[in-house]
Amino acid sequence: MNASIEQLRRLRAQAGVATLPGATPPAAAASPSMLRSLLQRHRRIDGGPPDRDRALPGVEVAEGLRCLETRLDWLPAPTAIATGFDRHHADSAPIAAQRMLAFDTETTGLAGGSGTRAFMIGAADWHGGGLRIRQLLITTMAAEAAMLDRFAQWCGEHDVLVSYNGKCYDAPLLAARYRLARRANPLAGLMHLDLLHPARRRWRGIYENCRLATIERQVLGVLREDDLPGSEAPAAWLAYLRGGSAANLRRVCTHNATDLSSLMALLLRLAAAA
Amino acid sequence: MRMANGLAASVPDDGADTDRRRIDGAALAQRLLRKYPERVTAQVAIHARAARHAPLPPDLPAAIQRALHARGIFQLYSHQAEAWQAVRRGEDVVVVTPTASGKSLCYLLPVLADAMATRAKSLFLFPTKALAQDQVAELLELNRAGDLGVRAYTFDGDTPGDARQAIRLHGDVVVSNPDMLHQAILPHHTKWAQFFEQLKYVVIDEVHTYRGVFGAHVANLVRRLRRICAFYGARPQFILCSATIGNPAEHASALIESTVHAITDSGAPVGEKHVLLWNPPVINPDLGLRASARSQSNRIARLAIKAGLKTLVFAQSRTMVEVLTKYLKDVFDHDPRKPARVRAYRGGYLPSERRSVEREMRAGHVDGIVATHALELGVDIGALDVVVLNGYPGSIAATWQRFGRAGRRQQASLGVLVASSDPLDQYLVRHPEFFQDAPPEHARIAPDQALILLDHIRCAAFELPFVGSEPFGPIAPAPYLELLAEAGVVHREGERWEWIADSYPANAVSLRSVADGNFVVVDRSEGRQQIIAEVDYSAAALTLYEGAIHMIQSTPYQVERLDWSGRKAFVTRTQVDYYTDAIDYTRLKVLAQFDGAVSGLGHARHGEVHVVRRVAGYKKIRYYTHENIGYGPVNLPDQELHTSALWWQLTQAVLDEAFASRQAALDGFLGAAVALHLVATVAVMADARDLQKAVGSGDGAWFATSDTRGRGSLRAADGSGAAADALAQFMPTVFLYDAYPGGIGLSEPLYQRRDELLLRARELVVGCDCTAGCPACIGPVLAADEASAVTPKQLAQRVLSLLATR
Repeated sequence: MNASIEQLRRLRAQAGVATLPGATPPAAAASPSMLRSLLQRHRRIDGGPPDRDRALPGVEVAEGLRCLETRLDWLPAPTAIATGFDRHHADSAPIAAQRMLAFDTETTGLAGGSGTRAFMIGAADWHGGGLRIRQLLITTMAAEAAMLDRFAQWCGEHDVLVSYNGKCYDAPLLAARYRLARRANPLAGLMHLDLLHPARRRWRGIYENCRLATIERQVLGVLREDDLPGSEAPAAWLAYLRGGSAANLRRVCTHNATDLSSLMALLLRLAAAA
Repeated sequence: MRMANGLAASVPDDGADTDRRRIDGAALAQRLLRKYPERVTAQVAIHARAARHAPLPPDLPAAIQRALHARGIFQLYSHQAEAWQAVRRGEDVVVVTPTASGKSLCYLLPVLADAMATRAKSLFLFPTKALAQDQVAELLELNRAGDLGVRAYTFDGDTPGDARQAIRLHGDVVVSNPDMLHQAILPHHTKWAQFFEQLKYVVIDEVHTYRGVFGAHVANLVRRLRRICAFYGARPQFILCSATIGNPAEHASALIESTVHAITDSGAPVGEKHVLLWNPPVINPDLGLRASARSQSNRIARLAIKAGLKTLVFAQSRTMVEVLTKYLKDVFDHDPRKPARVRAYRGGYLPSERRSVEREMRAGHVDGIVATHALELGVDIGALDVVVLNGYPGSIAATWQRFGRAGRRQQASLGVLVASSDPLDQYLVRHPEFFQDAPPEHARIAPDQALILLDHIRCAAFELPFVGSEPFGPIAPAPYLELLAEAGVVHREGERWEWIADSYPANAVSLRSVADGNFVVVDRSEGRQQIIAEVDYSAAALTLYEGAIHMIQSTPYQVERLDWSGRKAFVTRTQVDYYTDAIDYTRLKVLAQFDGAVSGLGHARHGEVHVVRRVAGYKKIRYYTHENIGYGPVNLPDQELHTSALWWQLTQAVLDEAFASRQAALDGFLGAAVALHLVATVAVMADARDLQKAVGSGDGAWFATSDTRGRGSLRAADGSGAAADALAQFMPTVFLYDAYPGGIGLSEPLYQRRDELLLRARELVVGCDCTAGCPACIGPVLAADEASAVTPKQLAQRVLSLLATR
């Protein structure tokens, strides 16, 4: 069946559905081929001229994949970290700090399911005497597989994952992405310290909520400047993907890096208190 | 293998309401025949039939044989053995046998055998949750009896979160429904990876219910399922089950888009059953007016319940359910301190309300239930003695399926079809041979309906990106993906179309309708703000206009305000002695012609039309007397519809020659429309409301309606009156059209059968016993027309003759 977009839109309205968000009716109903050319025109108009601010930090390590690396010397590694604060690992012997791998993803949304993806994976570990923050950012969808491969190389088989709500969110999401890319999931079977639950046990009722930003401000005294709220990250990446400005995407990179350093600082705080 | 329940009906101990003597369905049939011989136009007795058996297959694993032995099964019914062999050969199979014929063993045996041998996984889909739970219970019993070690779980909206992980990883058999597959399983398929990798069988039960819009959705769901299976390298085999329909193999292969081996010969025994076709008595011989079906169904149900028989009444509309429930409650539930003996069951109730009615029926606490087709599926409500159909359900197959609700092993059951004044009903009770001899109708689906496709391509793009020229079923999805890209939900990058939006499309797509725009009904009585019902978009204009009496469990609520764009109707409890009925008009305009042919002296055509439907007002109808006690205005936006239709036209010249006046020609067209619609509805297995008729000019300039007495009147496009003789152009056209946006594939096959329809319509009109026309052929006519020189019946006949090819 040949169905023109105009027809489809009309039928949906008749069936009681509001018009598709963002859809503006084309000038005239058309055959699919006419429609296609019409849409091409449309898209150029919609997108406007390519934005001049397209600069992103880091280096391109594969087509469409950028890698950012920074070092923080203000957070030196202790020799070993006690995990008594985590109910699941209360009896473990202290773990060498070098085995800790904090990770945090930035995603295209919170809807869940196979249609949600990570466009950035950040990881932090103690390396060469300081905290190393590495971030992978894709600028095309096709680069996702390369990002997953690169991140898999970062995960050692004895690593201990550190996250904030990662057990429920980041880890399952990455598991789905590795499955879709037909790759083994490097996170499977790794020990995982999710700091959300210990943080909740400790500070629930004391602060207004237990979001990482709140805990870091109240407990760690970190103040973020010009922070882009996590909820705006999907739009920032999408805008860039569609040829728009990179300004907000750079703020996402900063936001993600701050999350990672706070995560490690929080780990030390919890371990010290346990 | 649904075991027929051998329990005798519990007899209510309320002696006052109950005959002393315990009777069964056969005795009630005799009693009705003695009392009302002239109302029964036909009776059909279905004699008990013995079983045909086959030995347990030698290649059936020993453990399963032992399990069957433990459950007292030492041989199979013949159709079960046939299914085993076909499935073992690797064929996709559809098993078509009546209710309670043991069809579940047809799929349980191969599923259990492969689960034990290779840990092969199976997915069972049932249309309802209740049915799924029954099946798991049965499978688990067999599993326990033979210690088979097969793990079966239901997976539905009630499955707790912590159990879901275990089910995904360890379930050998996952029992679910299409809605869950659509909303929970496919969009999260990566979590089900192990399950899909080892998926060997997909069992789909009750496939006869997957027709029309729902069927088109399920066919697309199967496309999505196959796409996900292909991703995991699985090619599952399909085992389908269906109640009796005319084209099971064709329907099954349309649904799963592959060749299907049909097993249609049941070896199961059949219990004794009596069926009566019932025509209400003539109360006005001059006008040929009959008593209402409602009064008759009410009477039969009352007699049955008083005789201690568990009784189910099917009504065609939600309003009728409420009216009949009220009448029966007035008799049986006048004491509010006692638990209700009569309950209503229909769509639009909240699920919790429906579950509670189901539970009470199963427990035997309810003696009478009045339901719409919402109850038609395998919803388990326990054993019944009597089924009364208040009006013909629209197809022979649906009639038998509903009668199949009644039946006990020990005693005879009874089904009564009460004809309404609807022409289709009258046609049927007056031609009982049609009912007895006609093969059941065909089930049809149009999976490539544009809107439905758009919804499923959207969901499929979320599940896996479309790459290159990958088809969706037989469809090239590119234009649909373009539209989705324009809406910003998919992103095209080279060859790939990737989902990009932060949304979960399956939640916005309901399998049960073309599109999801349901209205909620909010009770505001005494300051409440409570949602008490939901109404489909398509039904909203006809039932939720301001002033409408909206009934729920026969409690009347009045609609105070309708928020059309917000999809809300605000109602309050009320005490009135009437109910309301919408008055609506339809106008059509031809947009495009796909095909056309000469038809007699005129033309038959098939194409796309624009339909405008307007609810102009409503009538208030008093209970019991059913007199019209007033009108109210309705001010709602027109309902617009682009759909497919077929139509017949005669030119002005031909009409001027054949008819004395334009009014005569118009009356002829209106009569012909009734007859054509009637035979067309019989010809395709359509719910009568899925196929609609109209008479108009074809360019939208005017349309014709029958007034209450059957005289045609012209209306201009704005609904005001017009005169036929004043028109410059007079080219009446009779339309039959699909009543869904985009069409659902009814009118195209009807166009192919156009000559047969004309022939049958003429036979119907010529063969009708009436003199001038009646509801059974061309619609009701005025008493004055009975004596006129040229009767409306002759006019309709003339139109049909002019159109007939020969």
